[in-house]
Amino acid sequence: MNSIAADRAKPGAGLFRVRQILDNVEAKPVSTALTWPATLNPAASKRYYFWLVAPAVALLAFISIYPFFWMIYMGLHDVEIGSVVWNDFANFTRLPSDSRYVGGWLLLFQYSAMCLALQIGIGVFLAVALNGLRHEKILVTMLLMPMMIAPLVAGMVWYFLYNGTFGWYHWLLQSVGILGPKSILGSPDTAMLAIVIIDVWQWTPLITLITLAGLKRVPQDQLEANMVDGASPFVNFISVTLPNLYPVLLIAIMLRFMDNFRFIDSALVLTGGGPGNATKILPIYLFEVSFKFFKLGRGAAIALTLLVVTIILGMILAKVFDRLHPKRT
Amino acid sequence: MFYVPKEAVFRRISRRKFLELGGGAASSLGVGSMTLGLGSTITRRRVQAQSSDDAKWKQYAGSKLTFLSENTPPSFAVRDNIKTFQDLTGIEVTILTDDLPVVQQKVGIDLRSGKADYLLNYVQDKPIGAPFAEFYADMTPLFGDATLPQDPDGYGDDAWFENFLSACGRFYTEGKIVALPYDCAVACTFYRQDIFEANSKDFEAEHGYRLEFTKDSTWKNVIDMAAFFKKAKEAGKDVPYGYAQHHGSFAWTTQLDIQRLLFANGRWMDWNIDDVYGSKEPGKTNWGDEQSVLIMTKFKELADVCHPDNLANGTLELNTVYQAGNIAMQTQYHEFAASIEDEKTSRAAGGKTAYAVCPKGEASWIKNGGEAVNGCNLGIGGIGINGNASDDLKRAAYTFAIWSVSRENQFNDLKGLGGTPTRKSVFAMEEVKKSMVRPTTMPNALTFDAVYNYCIKNPHIVLGPKIPQANEYHSILAAEVQKCLSNEQTPEEACKSIQTQLDELNGAG
Repeated sequence: MNSIAADRAKPGAGLFRVRQILDNVEAKPVSTALTWPATLNPAASKRYYFWLVAPAVALLAFISIYPFFWMIYMGLHDVEIGSVVWNDFANFTRLPSDSRYVGGWLLLFQYSAMCLALQIGIGVFLAVALNGLRHEKILVTMLLMPMMIAPLVAGMVWYFLYNGTFGWYHWLLQSVGILGPKSILGSPDTAMLAIVIIDVWQWTPLITLITLAGLKRVPQDQLEANMVDGASPFVNFISVTLPNLYPVLLIAIMLRFMDNFRFIDSALVLTGGGPGNATKILPIYLFEVSFKFFKLGRGAAIALTLLVVTIILGMILAKVFDRLHPKRT
Repeated sequence: MFYVPKEAVFRRISRRKFLELGGGAASSLGVGSMTLGLGSTITRRRVQAQSSDDAKWKQYAGSKLTFLSENTPPSFAVRDNIKTFQDLTGIEVTILTDDLPVVQQKVGIDLRSGKADYLLNYVQDKPIGAPFAEFYADMTPLFGDATLPQDPDGYGDDAWFENFLSACGRFYTEGKIVALPYDCAVACTFYRQDIFEANSKDFEAEHGYRLEFTKDSTWKNVIDMAAFFKKAKEAGKDVPYGYAQHHGSFAWTTQLDIQRLLFANGRWMDWNIDDVYGSKEPGKTNWGDEQSVLIMTKFKELADVCHPDNLANGTLELNTVYQAGNIAMQTQYHEFAASIEDEKTSRAAGGKTAYAVCPKGEASWIKNGGEAVNGCNLGIGGIGINGNASDDLKRAAYTFAIWSVSRENQFNDLKGLGGTPTRKSVFAMEEVKKSMVRPTTMPNALTFDAVYNYCIKNPHIVLGPKIPQANEYHSILAAEVQKCLSNEQTPEEACKSIQTQLDELNGAG
């Protein structure tokens, strides 16, 4: 058996048959012919490359690593202008007894879960609905428009739409009997929903876009084979399309989840964390502590915990991604 | 790419050269704008005590100053009128305006980082003055400086309305003055006379007294009125809600709302401190006592019969509700009268609205032995000078500060965009006195009798609390009050929770 035939015999290799043949055919002549004259391209030393990238690395270190360590330093101290006083980890030890901090975490998880569930559900539905339509490109472009609006501006726009006196959406929802005279922002029961709706409106198009890209690479032969076996379109979607979408969906989930964990803009404009503390998700509380109460040490400690949890959750998602999408050899 | 004539003679610029030139220009512009655009710059000509007034005003000609203020009428009026100052002094002033919470954050960062990018600041008494007082320049040495121009009306307590100078200028000590009163917002009652008159008979039949608002009307009467209108509305009558408050996202307005009720009933205050100067160590709070629990219960009772959207409304939103004709009465800041009287945007304009003092306390609600007063509160916006600036910058800033609070300027603000004077001398002007009755060209003046002759005077006015943690105090208080109003906790639980958090905040637990 020659090498191509041996490769074909490997499980799953059939899907990549065409590419493998091309690689094998093209690799040999290219690898033997590629020899540059030594005088034109002298072998660069590692030191040479180091100096090439050093300015960029230094700049990156300055704008990201330095503030990171400075944040840790601040988190361990009481920070005032001209005085930084060590406080025996008080900024961290106080956190578990701070009801606004603990509540902020719970609300953040609640907010992220609601946003992700809705965005993934609606985003995938829209992608499937748009996929292959005659005017797909125009419709996708229109769908992407909310993403192009700055979140703060989006917050302002929705603030006016929700307003209980002159808001158009308020009037609409009141007219159909969903809302009473109390606006959606005027009750702790609905205020969270109000900011979730904005996030869903603004970022579902991203999920749609990513899913659409994923749909384009679902193997047609698998779909066709399944249909030949008598599968309905729905069964086809569940058994073939969806498994092929998992990797892209995981990337989308990771992007959105990390984004939600640092979300603040429109919520700050719409509710400022209220009524009560109903929408005081952790980033809003962090903002208040740092730039309203000017307790920079406590703010740094909160930010650090937020960063650590985000990294840990990101790593868990990456693990899940690795399991569902192992590297092919 | 472009059309080039055949015989054209010109030097072609290579792409590399073009990029070099472009990069250089961008860098120069960036560095230039960073050095010149952000900060204030100073140019000085020496003057003597004997120099002319003109020379004193012009000693910093060519300088550039930056003033960060709240987006309220006085700042817009000052900006519109800035050419007068530039002609007088030769100083260029950039006036930046924003919402109060944003101003508070920007000012806080600037002051606490030791910078002076915003040389002049809007010092709103509690949210900005109380936490940052120590970072502002002391103005007292400048008041008597013979080498600086001075306002003939002076800067002593007598030059301003009662307590105004202390409210925005003095923090924790009597000697240092950090700001001059620039504008003010005093709470008073706005109510619809036409709606009151139309419903007076029905109200009297139900409650046994006339539906009218006087300086003797109590908070209990307000609850009666609000309940009457709510009941009528729910019965299908074409009436608005009776009353509404601002319990929205800006915590300070919620604090001010409940403070009026608390102070009216026995002059109750959060801490046993001097509310004129405030205190850096206020000690244990009075929250959680019998009086506070009772008033919180009454506050909840009132909220239950108010317009249902209180929790979404800040000052501006509440005023819009009133302008739209959706409520018959509100306790609002007197600077909003101009917008109420604007017939283009308000259904409450055209003589329908009357302005009165804040409601009085109810004797039967007082458990602490205090007196019942018309509990009023306010926000005084001062103009202060960043203490991080150089002496010359401070002196140049001073010329702008005294000009902006001068009698002429305040009168122009009042006439032009609806300012709120802080100088007594404006109130004494004949044109202003005439404008206090309809028809008027200065609608804010319609509130002046209630505000300046009654609300701001002792024993009705409450100035504080001024504490360094004022913003966190507002935030804690607003959150717990809002939770109580939305039935998440009882009034007693709310008061105890406020007590615990405030004592912990001030290290008095």
